[in-house]
Amino acid sequence: MISIIANGFQLFMNYIVAIIVAIVLALALKLPLLPEKPIRFSWTKSALFPTPVFAIGILAIFYSLNVFWIYKGLLIAIIVGLFSAIFVKYLFDYVFPNPQGGSE
Amino acid sequence: MDLIIGLILATVISWLNFVIVDTFLGLPEAPGVKGAETVGYSIKNRKGDLAGGFFQGNILCSPDASAGTLMASIGVYILGIQGGLIAALLVYIGNRLCADPGYAGTTGALTMTLLIFIFSFIGITPEMFICGMVIAIFTIQGIHHPTSSRLIGKIAKSFGRYTKYE
Repeated sequence: MISIIANGFQLFMNYIVAIIVAIVLALALKLPLLPEKPIRFSWTKSALFPTPVFAIGILAIFYSLNVFWIYKGLLIAIIVGLFSAIFVKYLFDYVFPNPQGGSE
Repeated sequence: MDLIIGLILATVISWLNFVIVDTFLGLPEAPGVKGAETVGYSIKNRKGDLAGGFFQGNILCSPDASAGTLMASIGVYILGIQGGLIAALLVYIGNRLCADPGYAGTTGALTMTLLIFIFSFIGITPEMFICGMVIAIFTIQGIHHPTSSRLIGKIAKSFGRYTKYE
């Protein structure tokens, strides 16, 4: 069966907090809420697409390594949310450059 | 749950998850990467359906909901629900590395993590989903390409996602 470490509800709330923090900061950094329509081209950064994926992915790595720190992991959730929004806004194009050629 | 019944249910759930997510996010519409175009026209030359060919090429050449479904199952098997979320992040990075502009992989991994969580309450284990996904992908990619591409083409038409390519 699936094992959820510690208190499942607390972890669930931490993920929700990380997602909300990431989306709010991404909107504050003037990323658009939704990708451009039609939704087929994920290179465009937006508050709803890569940002929460990074937030919950990185947070899940911390929790899998049993790193909870203080307040049952809540502080890590907030820090990861802030980090992922800043990462998507400023570092994303440097780490994952836009491929030349390829699809079209 | 009984192993055989669980496997059959897991296969059906995985099949529906990746076919619906992939079709809805436009895999049959256009080839996302060069290889998908080659595969699509090759299947069309063998009396298959072009939209189904693009679909098969896309899931062959870059991580889409099929890879997301499989990786989420493996992630949940290893690390619990956290593993599914890590799998979604890895599929997204894989999409960037493959220069594939799609959303399907990440979306598929997240929906599959949710489905595995829901169906764990009736006793379907992540192992069954791993095996079920391999069977599901075999029915699309492994038996007869032209037949399965025509089936995908019909599904794509009913979703309004049929290709405009000739």
